[in-house]
Amino acid sequence: MIHVYDSVPVLTLGRVLIPLTQLFGLYVLFFGQYGPGGGFVGGVIFGTSMIVSILIFGHDASSSRLARTVLHGDGLGLLIFAGVGGLCLIGGGEFLNYAALDVPGLDDAARRYLGILLAQIGVAVDVAVTAVSIMFSLSVETEDEDVHAGTP
Amino acid sequence: MSRHLPVLLFLLPFLTALVLPMVGLARRAWCRPLALAAVAGMFVLALVNVAVVLRHGTTRYDFGGWAAPIGVEWVNDGLACLVMATVGFLALIAMIHAGPTTPPSLAGREAPYYTLILLLLSGLTGIVFAADLFNVFVFLEVAALSAYALVGVAGGRALVSAFRYLMLGTMGSALYLLGVAYFYAATGTLNMMDLAERVPALITSKAIVGGLIFMFLGLGIKMALMPLHSWLPDAYTYAPDSVSPFLASLSTKVAVLAWTRIMFWVVGPTAEIEHVPVLTLLEELGAIAAVAGSLLALAQSDIKRMFAYGGISHIGLILIGVSLGNPTGFAGGVLYLINDMVMQAALFCLAGVVVTQYGVRRLEDLGRLRAGDPWLMGALIVMAMAMVGFPPTGGFFGKWYIMLGALEAQDYVAVGAVVLTTLVTLAYFFRIFERIFRDAGRPSATDPRPVVPWSLKVSVGVLSAAAILLGVASDPLVSVLRTVVVPAGL
Repeated sequence: MIHVYDSVPVLTLGRVLIPLTQLFGLYVLFFGQYGPGGGFVGGVIFGTSMIVSILIFGHDASSSRLARTVLHGDGLGLLIFAGVGGLCLIGGGEFLNYAALDVPGLDDAARRYLGILLAQIGVAVDVAVTAVSIMFSLSVETEDEDVHAGTP
Repeated sequence: MSRHLPVLLFLLPFLTALVLPMVGLARRAWCRPLALAAVAGMFVLALVNVAVVLRHGTTRYDFGGWAAPIGVEWVNDGLACLVMATVGFLALIAMIHAGPTTPPSLAGREAPYYTLILLLLSGLTGIVFAADLFNVFVFLEVAALSAYALVGVAGGRALVSAFRYLMLGTMGSALYLLGVAYFYAATGTLNMMDLAERVPALITSKAIVGGLIFMFLGLGIKMALMPLHSWLPDAYTYAPDSVSPFLASLSTKVAVLAWTRIMFWVVGPTAEIEHVPVLTLLEELGAIAAVAGSLLALAQSDIKRMFAYGGISHIGLILIGVSLGNPTGFAGGVLYLINDMVMQAALFCLAGVVVTQYGVRRLEDLGRLRAGDPWLMGALIVMAMAMVGFPPTGGFFGKWYIMLGALEAQDYVAVGAVVLTTLVTLAYFFRIFERIFRDAGRPSATDPRPVVPWSLKVSVGVLSAAAILLGVASDPLVSVLRTVVVPAGL
């Protein structure tokens, strides 16, 4: 169980830096189309910002509770990734052949761009959620036992 | 649409596995029906896939539309579609069986439990179809990680076995990956078709020989080939009774399939290292595993552990069959692979019934079964006949074709190993029946008679029927195997 970190500089800096980290994570995710970066790195940065927020503000802060609720959507990122791939199947192409995405008004290159971007968002969501879930399972182990223990 | 069948077969369990945790949050009772529906869908798709492949021949699937060797490729050929159909069938039966045998300590955790089972199945589907060495590694890991978690899912004693399985399995994956890296360094490609053109010319190179040995060791751990088997008996014995049919029937056999693909489709059956044919080495290793595994099974007193060692000896028999170097032996090996998947599923389903409904684990308590169902005893007798190899069952015909292949190759070590394994198998099933029919430990009239749920009766009944059907239909099956499964150059 992690409680609020009792230090004014840390709390103040956390309030400023965490949103900036998240903004940077989004930038890395979307910039991945043109340069170094992409879904995995963006997801890691985003997940790190959430972990830092838990370390600073504790498990009971509203943002931490939000993170814990989000955990149940562990498969959501993969679902986005596989769902975009599956849409390609409906469009008549192979799995993950983004050129077959049935979006009117876009040429092949733009469809591939869109498909890769959506898939990368899926990857980012999954990596971020996994990072936070590892954090939770390491820090609230005793609580978890109480919830799940079926055997005496 | 039929060309998309392999990827649909993968996506069905995979997407269901992803949706299950979210469904389980709101409606816990829906998890099992959803998982069952996904597995049933897999079986239907796999049957359609067999029909498509037998009619239209092998198809290849390029992911993302990028043609191999640049893109990742899946191959949907005779071997893949037949093994996939068996996987789908056994997954459905094992899922039906998993309902009443699920340990009570899992109550409330159905969602992650069924998610793990479906992830295991999607990983196995990937291994069956993958035509790319690295892709095989990825799916080996998907299947293995879910298997480690499934072994330990109920906690207690199983956690130790799961940890041991995790250590050895990870070592196996690492060795396999190392072998893939050697192959990539020597040839610059990972696609099996592409490798098949380059590897035979390079077979004397140290990188290829080393890579081949590493890949064999890695997959040898995964398939629990005799000296590398030490993780298996504990993992299968202490795994929850609902999980062991999945693991015992599917995971080791799919690893054998992956090795067969590498050996026959990449390296080629005529490969020699320093004038020693690779196939001869494999066949000797298989002979050792078959005999030693059955002898170890004879020495066990826990029924699940005895069946686990029986499975180890059968891996050796399959390896003998495919390594004989002639089409008869290869077809016999693949037939025995399919048979063994059915037999292992049936044995561990039976063990699950015996352990959960009768509370019997050790051989000396087996007398208590006499109070029970004739249905259960009938299934046990059929499965014993299949394991030993009596005629109307598939086990006999598998061994028969392996023997024919061995005689054709004039390989009397293989003949001796098959005969010896059969005799020792007969001996350990004799021990089981001797315990059941002996008067000591006989149930008294006042003992409660357990009521076996219908789903368990269905699962063991259908599997026994399948074991007999595989024997009765072995003639057409072998002619199909000879035409669509046997690799070129054999």
